[in-house]
Amino acid sequence: MISEQSVAPERKRGKLFFSPFLHLKKLYAFIGLLLVLLFFVVPVFRLGLLSVLAEGSFSLAHYREVLQEAATWTTVKNTIYITIGSTVLAIVLGVTIAWVMAYVHIRGKRWIQLFIFLPFIIPSYITTLAWIQFLGKSGPIQSVVGWAPNLYSMGGIIFLLGLSHYPLVYLFTVDVFRKIPRELEEAAKTAGAGRKHILLKIVLPLALPGIAGGGLLAFLTNLDNFGIPAFLGIPANIRVLSTYIYEQIVGFGPSAFARAAVLSVLLGVIALFGTFLQWLLLKKSRVTETVTRDMEPRLFLPEKKRRLLEAVIWLFLLVTSLVPFLTMGALSLIKAYGLPFEIENLSFKNYQYVFLTDDKTGSALWNSLMLAVMTTVICLIAGTVMAYIRYRKPGFFSKMMEVLVTIPYALPGTVLALCMIFAWMQPVPGWNPGLYGTVWILLIAYVTRFFVLQVRGSYTALLQVDPSMEEAARTSGAHGWVKWRSILLPLIFPGLIGGALLVFLMVLTELTVSSLLWSSGAETIGVVIFSYEQAGYTTYSTAFASVLVLAILTGGLLFTAFSRRWERKVMKKK
Amino acid sequence: MIQLHDVSKQYGSFTALHSVNLTMKHGEFTAILGPSGCGKTTLLKLLAGFMEPTSGEIQMDGSLVASKHQLIPPEKRNIGMVFQSFALWPHMTVYDHIVFPLRHHRHTQDEWKKDMVARVQHVLKMVGLDQLFDRYPSELSGGQKQRVALARAIAPLPDILLMDEPLSALDVELRMDMRTEIQRIHRETKACIVYVTHDQGEALAMADKIVVMNKGKIEQIGSPEDIYTKPETAFVASFVGKCNMVKGKWEEGRFTPRAFPWETWPDIGVAESLKQEGFCPVRPEQWAMADESGEGLKGTVLSVQYQGKEVHYVIEVEEEKWTVHQSIFSRRYQAGDTVSLAVKAAEQQPVFV
Repeated sequence: MISEQSVAPERKRGKLFFSPFLHLKKLYAFIGLLLVLLFFVVPVFRLGLLSVLAEGSFSLAHYREVLQEAATWTTVKNTIYITIGSTVLAIVLGVTIAWVMAYVHIRGKRWIQLFIFLPFIIPSYITTLAWIQFLGKSGPIQSVVGWAPNLYSMGGIIFLLGLSHYPLVYLFTVDVFRKIPRELEEAAKTAGAGRKHILLKIVLPLALPGIAGGGLLAFLTNLDNFGIPAFLGIPANIRVLSTYIYEQIVGFGPSAFARAAVLSVLLGVIALFGTFLQWLLLKKSRVTETVTRDMEPRLFLPEKKRRLLEAVIWLFLLVTSLVPFLTMGALSLIKAYGLPFEIENLSFKNYQYVFLTDDKTGSALWNSLMLAVMTTVICLIAGTVMAYIRYRKPGFFSKMMEVLVTIPYALPGTVLALCMIFAWMQPVPGWNPGLYGTVWILLIAYVTRFFVLQVRGSYTALLQVDPSMEEAARTSGAHGWVKWRSILLPLIFPGLIGGALLVFLMVLTELTVSSLLWSSGAETIGVVIFSYEQAGYTTYSTAFASVLVLAILTGGLLFTAFSRRWERKVMKKK
Repeated sequence: MIQLHDVSKQYGSFTALHSVNLTMKHGEFTAILGPSGCGKTTLLKLLAGFMEPTSGEIQMDGSLVASKHQLIPPEKRNIGMVFQSFALWPHMTVYDHIVFPLRHHRHTQDEWKKDMVARVQHVLKMVGLDQLFDRYPSELSGGQKQRVALARAIAPLPDILLMDEPLSALDVELRMDMRTEIQRIHRETKACIVYVTHDQGEALAMADKIVVMNKGKIEQIGSPEDIYTKPETAFVASFVGKCNMVKGKWEEGRFTPRAFPWETWPDIGVAESLKQEGFCPVRPEQWAMADESGEGLKGTVLSVQYQGKEVHYVIEVEEEKWTVHQSIFSRRYQAGDTVSLAVKAAEQQPVFV
């Protein structure tokens, strides 16, 4: 039956206005480009400029001075040894675990994956602190074996760097392994190749782009790391470029900034060279990305062997990522450093001092929290806008913007901190807005550094949404805000929050950039823990760090629970 | 009424549409038919307003909606759209889907806005889904999803209904049912439907007017019957009618195949443009087939496919492969047999009551 309603009634005719958006869009694009250049590119140029200026004119005097010193070359040599050593360790660990996780039939892969990712959310200086306790005088190894390796050494730095960054290699290679079609292996098998032969001739060559990509990323991260060489290297007089730059600035020599700038350029050149190499390799490896992931195991071990392998993996994961933290937590309860771990020596005295007596801690917590919230909100909004532009208008312009905002993240933290000082001390020659020396320089630095994380997070979330979802909203009459509120935001929310949480955690526990940009009254959590450790108050730093680890883990678990709930309740996924 | 004047669209150096001119009348069901990459989806996106043309103008009801410099976005146009992938929002119920355009579409009637529940019920009844309004998309079958997508598009009763291959994600049987549904909805809403498809069966079955496109250009515009029986270009003949394109010469209304100069065929309704190119398009069902001793072109049977209603043969004639459809009651041949082919005399004109 056809009712009257459906028989085309007189249609409403609104007056159609032309949206002037075509012109506005050009203006917005221009403003966007200007902001990106101002915040992300100009600071890097300023740093390079400063290294070649002496008393207002072009000169290579600083380079000559710095490069002629023996200390510089010792530092460069240390940097290269440590970076290469830790990268090799990260690759060996990462590739082995990735291969097992991709191909071998073992139980509990979900939990294993969770433990592998743990070093991602716990900052490396806290991991270092935990390991210092684990292998220290009152630690379990010393009391059981009576001897423990000395972490305050080149080997110790390499070990902790490798341990902290192997998840990067794992992350890059595990999917590459999964994407290698199993038919290739079967074809080799029917052609008579043995297992060893297949691994060496088929699997590893095909996984090479992934391994190289992950390896180079680990290389960059090792090069950039400040926390580990600062906690372990400075007391042992082992310097790498990132800590050497820090010492220049803190030491306040007559030409401290210029010298630091030269060293930063040195470090930046190594880092950018690595980034370039990585880009080249990833560009070549694109072919493998089109193949689908094969999540089914390919290697079935006999019961006994499988149990043995599972035991080895769990032992490794527990020893590397759980036991040190438990040790740290336990030792933070000891009244005074050096006392044995016995009931009568335990108390909450350290916690009481850190959180109730010392004013610095309270203000650092407050500062870090505020900075983290502000950075997250700014990145969330601006980063999502940028990701949306990249998603809707893919092309040279949006791609270039992303490359530009990646620069501050790819640069070593110490270098970026210097860039920030030079760029914001006098943004325009002769005008000092008074940002340096306040908490605001930290905010700018954090946003600049971690912006790309949110862009990537939001972009990945948007990629999951079919463009027709949005188009359907528009043909249903929804304009800008309604479209975002009712359709896009509910669909990308977990992805957005995932990116935002990463930014939040990064800022909350940031050490490298903060250690150069903090000022009295504007300390952050990382800076306070670092200064406790430098002053020898190990029990205080461990107490603070233990609380932080607990908070991070709680946050991570809450997020996991939230996103599962969201998918079930809102997205109706089963 | 929709009018396109010299509309072109370029993506970088690739031209997706070459100066297209097209008019669609009120209440008309227009099918845009062509192979993938022919520009039909680009055309639909331009009509929806998702992008502006590189040159040319689009008018709706006499006012300019898109040109190189100006664009009225989709949310300000009086349109509805059905997507190939359904594009249902996973976090909304069927009811939410229908209410959404009622609330936001600029052309929803005020009385519907006042009583949205009644309108939703009415629309869902129209598509046969009145029992399911609190379901989520993940709880619906493919056919039900498509009905929701359809209901969402027609709920505010837009002037223009755009459909982007709406049936291609459904299985064959469901497609046949949905054809009838869409025809009925067209009758009930009297909307101007622009229906993009690569399936000539769908276009022939439903449309008032078919626009055949190839490589960004319009090949032919006409009624389904004209497109099928009187193709004007070689592309339309082979794409829509699956014609065998016989090369030869036209002289005084009779055709002589190049490979068989002693044969002459009558005019079976071939367009002037094709005559000038020296083609005689013969649809598979227009062949008369006889054994070796019969009159006509001699060829060898390459393959035989029994199809229930008909038997399909592929015949090799002078190194060309021609398709021939024969009734199951006619004489059967086997692969390797030599047969003779001739063109059936001009068909009877259809009679409309």
